[in-house]
Amino acid sequence: MSGRGPARGPGDGVTFGHTELPEEQSAALRRAIRLAWATIAFLLVGVTLVYLVMGSSQAMKAAWAEDLLSFIPPVSFLVAVRFARRRPTTAHPYGYHRSVGVGHLVAAAALLTMGTFLVLDSGSGLLAAEHPPVGVMHLGDHVFWAGWPMIGAMVLTGIPPVLLGRAKMPLARTLHDRVLYADADMNKADWMTALGSVVGILGIGAGLWWADSAAALFISVSILRDGISNLRVAAGALMDARATTVDGDEPHPLTGEVDDRLRALPWVEDARSRVRDQGHVFHVEAFVVPRDGRAPTLRELAEAREAATALDWKVQDLVVVPVEQLPEEMLPGVAAAEGEDERRAGAGRR
Amino acid sequence: MRRTAGLLLTAALLAGCSGGFPADPDGTLERVTGDALRVGVTANPPWTEVEDGVPPSGLEAEIVTEFAETLDAEVDWTTGSEETLVGDLEAGELDLVIGGLTGRSPWSAQAALTTPYTTVPDEHGEPEPHVMAAPLGENAFLVRLETFLLEQHRDVLP
Repeated sequence: MSGRGPARGPGDGVTFGHTELPEEQSAALRRAIRLAWATIAFLLVGVTLVYLVMGSSQAMKAAWAEDLLSFIPPVSFLVAVRFARRRPTTAHPYGYHRSVGVGHLVAAAALLTMGTFLVLDSGSGLLAAEHPPVGVMHLGDHVFWAGWPMIGAMVLTGIPPVLLGRAKMPLARTLHDRVLYADADMNKADWMTALGSVVGILGIGAGLWWADSAAALFISVSILRDGISNLRVAAGALMDARATTVDGDEPHPLTGEVDDRLRALPWVEDARSRVRDQGHVFHVEAFVVPRDGRAPTLRELAEAREAATALDWKVQDLVVVPVEQLPEEMLPGVAAAEGEDERRAGAGRR
Repeated sequence: MRRTAGLLLTAALLAGCSGGFPADPDGTLERVTGDALRVGVTANPPWTEVEDGVPPSGLEAEIVTEFAETLDAEVDWTTGSEETLVGDLEAGELDLVIGGLTGRSPWSAQAALTTPYTTVPDEHGEPEPHVMAAPLGENAFLVRLETFLLEQHRDVLP
């Protein structure tokens, strides 16, 4: 990571495929890459620390597994961004943006698998009434209960991810990067894992043998839930679901904005587009119906394209298709009025 | 979820204040103190030696007798195979099993193996950590035993 140089040109020539990033996005990308490396460095320390003290606590084991899994999102973010910046080739005419989707799917599958394993592991521990033994540790001649260093390690490893997650979240929105978003979301929830483990260990200390397994179950369920929600969003994006906001909750407002911009052109009677999320950037097919059935000139079409792509850096890969009427088979729900309302509402919320 | 965590924390702290920390779920330390320490022993000289008619001897038998004295308890010996004794330990019929067990013991899922109190070379010259087997999860008892082993018998040789 080179430091910030003196004033450079807009965007510093940073691109995602053909898309040149605006200054705000370039800065966000540089910062996100630095944060991803910082996360990896922190995880290396955290994983080592927790491994050294974890002993036979189920909750500590679950927390350690979560720390190990936390390597996947920052690594897949770094790999995905590296691929996504490649320019489109003859063999990959749409570019390499989908690498984000692949990275996201891999991360989600890992979370789901580990979550399932840990739920079964800690659930069976609870059912079999396993009593976790936690004895003493010694440093030189100093002998102390091994639960204390466990709690110390959880407190130390519980705080930094929350700060990292908070720093990454706005960058994920700026870059429209789902892998970064998933990473930030998991980081932000890390304090619950840490607190869960601390409660489990204090429970062991208090002679409540079930507290440890119960805490482990709580952590495992949160990992499993992360896995399910991420898998849903990642699979949806790979299946060309309509473009949504980075958290996957709402239709992306840009879809409506593109339509509105095209409808505002004097020669356009109606316009409606089909938008899929390539990862960072969108691929837009805009269908426009000219007024009075008059075929638009090439110049009018080029202007329409320029008007729409000027809206946002994410919509550069855009084709304008003049049609006699909006094609129902490519724009499902175009005939139904409520489809329109729903989309407008989605656009209005942001 | 936050509420559950909060309740658990409160419960843990309340329970923690009422007794020792860490505490035994089944009260082993409290029951042994001033009464009897039920020890299972398997012959494994020089760590443990078992002869008919006399109490078990050997380094570990001596350490355990000394430990029982610190708790003001008599040692109640049971001899048998390692497997039988570990089974009794799991069933709560014994408080401790000795017999030259090492850190490589396969019983770690059935018993709480103590922290190694001494490490000596085995017959191949590899360092071998020696441990004892306590009941799973009886952490007050385990901590008392381990503290005794580390403070009184660190690095003893047979």
